[in-house]
Amino acid sequence: MRLLSRALRAAQGCRAAALPPRSYRAAPAEGSAAGPCRPQPRRPLSARPCLDELFAAPSLHRLLEERARGGAGAGPELAARIQRLRDKEQELRDTQELARQDESEDLRKLAEQEIISCQEEIADLKHQIVLLLIPSEEADNNDLVMEVTAGVGGQEAMLFTSEIFDMYQRYAAYRKWRFEILEYFPSEIGGLRHAVASIAGLEAYKYMKFEGGVHRVQRVPKTEKQGRIHTSTMTVAILPQPTEMRLKINPKDLRIDTKRASGAGGQHVNTTDSAVRIIHIPTGIVSECQQERSQIRNKEKAMQMLCAKLYNLKTEEETKKRNSVRKIQIGTKGRSEKIRTYNFPQDRITDHRISRSVHHIECFMLGEDMLDEMIQSLREYADYESLMEIISESEKINPS
Amino acid sequence: MWKPEVAFAAMRCLTHPLLMRFLGLSSPCASAGLSQTKTLMLSPEQLSLRQSFSTRSGLVTATDVVKYWQKVFETNGIPEAQESSEYIVSFVLGAKTFQSLNSRILYTPLTAVQQEQIQQLSTKRLERMPVQYVLGEWDFQDLTLKMRPPVFIPRPETEDLVSLVVEEGSWKYEKNSGLLSPAAAPHPVILEIGCGSGAIALSLLCKLSQSRVIAVDKEKAAVDLTRENAQRLQLQDRIHILHHDVSSSSAKQLLPWGPVDFIVSNPPYVFHEDMVSLAPEILRYEDLDALDGGDGGMRVIKTILALAPSLLKDSGSVFLEVDPRHPEMVENWLQTYPNLLLTLCAIHKDFCGKPRFLHIQKQSR
Repeated sequence: MRLLSRALRAAQGCRAAALPPRSYRAAPAEGSAAGPCRPQPRRPLSARPCLDELFAAPSLHRLLEERARGGAGAGPELAARIQRLRDKEQELRDTQELARQDESEDLRKLAEQEIISCQEEIADLKHQIVLLLIPSEEADNNDLVMEVTAGVGGQEAMLFTSEIFDMYQRYAAYRKWRFEILEYFPSEIGGLRHAVASIAGLEAYKYMKFEGGVHRVQRVPKTEKQGRIHTSTMTVAILPQPTEMRLKINPKDLRIDTKRASGAGGQHVNTTDSAVRIIHIPTGIVSECQQERSQIRNKEKAMQMLCAKLYNLKTEEETKKRNSVRKIQIGTKGRSEKIRTYNFPQDRITDHRISRSVHHIECFMLGEDMLDEMIQSLREYADYESLMEIISESEKINPS
Repeated sequence: MWKPEVAFAAMRCLTHPLLMRFLGLSSPCASAGLSQTKTLMLSPEQLSLRQSFSTRSGLVTATDVVKYWQKVFETNGIPEAQESSEYIVSFVLGAKTFQSLNSRILYTPLTAVQQEQIQQLSTKRLERMPVQYVLGEWDFQDLTLKMRPPVFIPRPETEDLVSLVVEEGSWKYEKNSGLLSPAAAPHPVILEIGCGSGAIALSLLCKLSQSRVIAVDKEKAAVDLTRENAQRLQLQDRIHILHHDVSSSSAKQLLPWGPVDFIVSNPPYVFHEDMVSLAPEILRYEDLDALDGGDGGMRVIKTILALAPSLLKDSGSVFLEVDPRHPEMVENWLQTYPNLLLTLCAIHKDFCGKPRFLHIQKQSR
């Protein structure tokens, strides 16, 4: 709730004065970070109208009318807030009228105070309404499985993959999520070819879903002798972990392989290879785990990966359709999209989806405030896009 | 004779390509060491080769050391050469598995102290000591347990026995408490016969937070290890550990703790005639009484089943891990002793598809 209000407030520079001041937002847009690791001041996203403008627009007005009448997607909560907004707006108009007519200085002051409190409540109600209009994604509260894979650029790409993986591990710690490595394939010189981790915790998917896509690095690789700048890539995939209710797997469809399959087993043998491989026969999807010394733990982890992959396969189609026009892509389509560039010579990180650049790569890759800020901006923008989509869909259904 | 300090000095100075050369040259001589003597032979040529390396400086990474000891294990006929080497190296580096070491640790040169620790542990493995005893710990379900010879090392099949009891346990209480009181807390009392390291008992305590366990073993070493593991995991409050032999002592000693909801056991079930074919790791280090089930592997199974009716509540259950030949034998045996009022109600397969676990229920009167 707080986030979106912040986004919308940021977007509506005109109202900033009436709201609790936020020091970093009041600062000039560029180059004002105090320390090396201070989050950059937020730049309001362009091309976004302010909240009042939005509510003045006939399209949103029609949408609200429709919802208040109990049309598609209306909940009692939303209807109540729309009604309350109408009442408050009326109250504001009345008070303004009174204030203009009143001749007593004291009474006029009183009315002015009332006007301010009315305006504040209206702004708050608008934020709440906007939040209620935006449907939260089904998987938002789910845990997730993150897959990182080195892309173009050989050893350098693998080194970068390792750094990004570490960044998300630290981000999970920052957000107090549980981070468990499910697969890890290092390269020769300390890089990472491919790794899978499970991330669990409050709203983990809601935040991490924006990190899926191609991340690009531009720098002079450690391995480069001539000091030339290389461009390399790595890919992050974020798969929501389905709850057991959402995904039913028939045990008969699974083949579980272990190293103990041959021989007497049980007390007769004492072997230590605890690797487990699970094959989902109908789809041919394979998942494997040998992170643990306990075989049953390896099996659980392999199963977790398999479920995420199967669920992803299942939801891929609808996700593709739903998000087709958005700039911020979640799911398969987003995975092949270049989302962010880490430019070391310029010490700059640019997110291409929202055209936002920040500086201090080292600090960003700590996976703390700066990464968090970036993700918040993405969330806000995605919320905005989704609201615009709802309005335009509603316009299609109910042309004025 | 195998001289640890020599091998250590050699290993310390091996760099990757040199290591490969050394390994390539070493195999013919080392294969002579395959003879059943426990000694690792080092030929004079090898020694001189190694000494020549020691004049050069070189850094050794975890990957190098794993490869080195894998090769040494292979040439000395040690089973699971790669796994053994990986577990030992990871353990010294503070990780559980080689696959869980991150890329930086993998390529950071090892310190002399680390190399020496690896060397010491690997020497034990060269004497066919099971990896679990070499490390002094192993994982079972979600727990890390201390392992100490000769206490029986829990096998992965037994992790499924625990899951089975947990599943049946929760189900039973769900059924009894009915839909009206789904929050009713289950308080099962469980008796484990032959607790060994405490793996089953302690996992059950972990998974069933309201349960209580009585764990008995006839070996003092096992009772002590179970107690130590219980304390390390802070589960000592819900477990009662008894030094008790069910085969020779009277069941009366157990009655003050009963009647119980479940009896769980991974009793010795290896057919006596199969004992000779077990691997040296098992024969040399593990308590054979924890494995040898006598003729037909049924000696302790029968003892447990004979005791069960007097220890179980009505409709209480026995869960046993057995040999795949046992389900039929147990069923026949129970039919010849109908007065025990026990019914074999389910046979569950292990992860390899072998009939491995028996669920036997006491009939309610």
